[in-house]
Amino acid sequence: MSIVLARIDSRLVHGQVLEAWVPHVNADCIVVANDDVAATSFQCMVMQAAIPSSIKLIIGTLEETASILSSAELLKKRVLLLFATSEDALKVRTLGVEYPKLNLGNMHSSDGKDRYTCTIALDHEDIEKLQEIETQGVKIVSQCVPADREQGWHKLIRSGGR
Amino acid sequence: MVIADYLLAGLVAMLTGLDRVALVQVMISRPLVAAPLTGLVLGNPLLGLEVGMLLELLWLGRLPVGAAIPPDDTQVAVGATVLAFSMGQMLDLVGMPMVILAVLVAIPLGKFGQIFDRLARNVNDRLAVAGLKALSDGNTNGLERRHLMGLISFAVSSLATACVIVLIGSVVLFYTAPQLIGAVRDTGLSLQYSLIIVGAASLLGTINVNRSISLFCAAFSGTLLVLWMR
Amino acid sequence: MKAPRISWLTFLRVYLRSFLLQASWNFENLQNLGFFYLVLPGLRSIYGDELSRDVQRRQVTYFNTHPYFAPLIAGTILRMEERLHAGEDVAVDPDAYKKMVMAPFAAMGDALFWGGVRPLAALIGLLLASQGSLWAPVVFLVLFNLPHLFFRGAGLILGYVQELRAIETIQKCRLPDLAIRLKESTTILIGVLCAYLSFKGCEHQDISGAWGFVLLPIVLLFAWLSHKGVTSLFLVLLTTSSLLLLALLF
Repeated sequence: MSIVLARIDSRLVHGQVLEAWVPHVNADCIVVANDDVAATSFQCMVMQAAIPSSIKLIIGTLEETASILSSAELLKKRVLLLFATSEDALKVRTLGVEYPKLNLGNMHSSDGKDRYTCTIALDHEDIEKLQEIETQGVKIVSQCVPADREQGWHKLIRSGGR
Repeated sequence: MVIADYLLAGLVAMLTGLDRVALVQVMISRPLVAAPLTGLVLGNPLLGLEVGMLLELLWLGRLPVGAAIPPDDTQVAVGATVLAFSMGQMLDLVGMPMVILAVLVAIPLGKFGQIFDRLARNVNDRLAVAGLKALSDGNTNGLERRHLMGLISFAVSSLATACVIVLIGSVVLFYTAPQLIGAVRDTGLSLQYSLIIVGAASLLGTINVNRSISLFCAAFSGTLLVLWMR
Repeated sequence: MKAPRISWLTFLRVYLRSFLLQASWNFENLQNLGFFYLVLPGLRSIYGDELSRDVQRRQVTYFNTHPYFAPLIAGTILRMEERLHAGEDVAVDPDAYKKMVMAPFAAMGDALFWGGVRPLAALIGLLLASQGSLWAPVVFLVLFNLPHLFFRGAGLILGYVQELRAIETIQKCRLPDLAIRLKESTTILIGVLCAYLSFKGCEHQDISGAWGFVLLPIVLLFAWLSHKGVTSLFLVLLTTSSLLLLALLF
């Protein structure tokens, strides 16, 4: 198993992931690590319907993710790992899932969050969580789609939010 | 080119620009349609078709997915058609070489489209806030009006992009076209085709099909063999 | 209390309004106003002109999906609102439903329309345009918009009639796999187009058509470069400037 992309995307499975990232990193398996989705069978079904049969989709809770990723089934797969929030990404990391690089895709804005790019809104907690992930040796970058330029997240934070 | 022509072209720029995201999305915003449409109002649809052909594939692989904003190929197509037409008349240069030059000058200027598009969407942020406020006052009509006002920002940003492309493009072409036209003519078909082929290759590179390379090679070889043997 | 059924005229208005979904597209909440605008005629015929706070609030939340899929969601939402108004139970509440389906539907629409139908229609149009035919844009528009306009209308009706079960119907259509078939056809047509242009180029230079194969590795190289993230703009500048330099030097 190799994780070809780990990404925080509040929309989880959507066009940017399937149309742009999957071909770019040649992924053949998508793992969604999310407690809410895993608990709702209806949403699992809708997500499954969006994925072509050539790509394997596995939806698991945060706890399950490490064991899913080390299962024999995924031994030869090129995995694209999706989180909805920085909190989930940190939790999965501390549960023992190693990913060398973390891509910030869409982090939807809500009250109390500052927008740093068109698609990324963060609050204090997000920044703390990301910092913690970084201290574990993960390179954190923001890049919405492969055609955009990759940008280190520190540069993003320095430029300030609004 | 007379003022009325520019006004008509501006109208086409706005209509096709709205079609990109805000209104209808029946794909009159694709260069293959937008350029001939511009050509049509200027009285030379074939010129537009040539522009559209060169541009259609270039950014086709860049999907308008989510908040990602691709370069504005619509206004590049509209602008290049206007440039090929007006500067062609002014400098007395006609035919494919002039079309190619106009397209080449317009392509990098498509970046401006991304900037203006982003601005328009930021303006709409404020409209959205105002719309929600109207709603919380119980004024649904106010929300509808704010929503529709978003069309104005998109139309203005499209028009602005087209104007920038035509203005900068005219200046650049005025000074460079007479010098470069000879070289463009000398390249024969290669320059013209290279534009289409770069587009085709970039589409091929971004399409997510496992067997895309083998399918492409088989289709290419098969077609070429048939044409060659014939 | 039985809610008045939504008339077909109202559905027509919702259908037409779906063309304006993205008029106020914004970074904050994307299509939120648009969706409210879309379902408003339906809401008015269910609740009358005075919409309650709850109804308003749940229909202007963050929303973003593929524009052609919005009528499908709107259909289901209107049926749910009808049920809620009549005091019936709904399995999933409208806001949760929107949250669950918008991203997967966006993925399906992107794959099917932006990734599948559009490039295919464009390539067919281009092959016609390379013959100098002004029918090219017309053919492109027709090929693209027949499925597009049908999908918007069928989606609205399907969503209203089947509600949550509409997902099952959509799933049975295997749209993502259909999208892959369309993309495969597109790659074939890219091959045909490149070969045709290559052959025309050879003919123009009065050399054997076999030289056309020279283009094959070049296209593959460019495809690989763009797969690696090199932009089309850079590739264009590279090729044209080198071709122009060659022409200027020799």
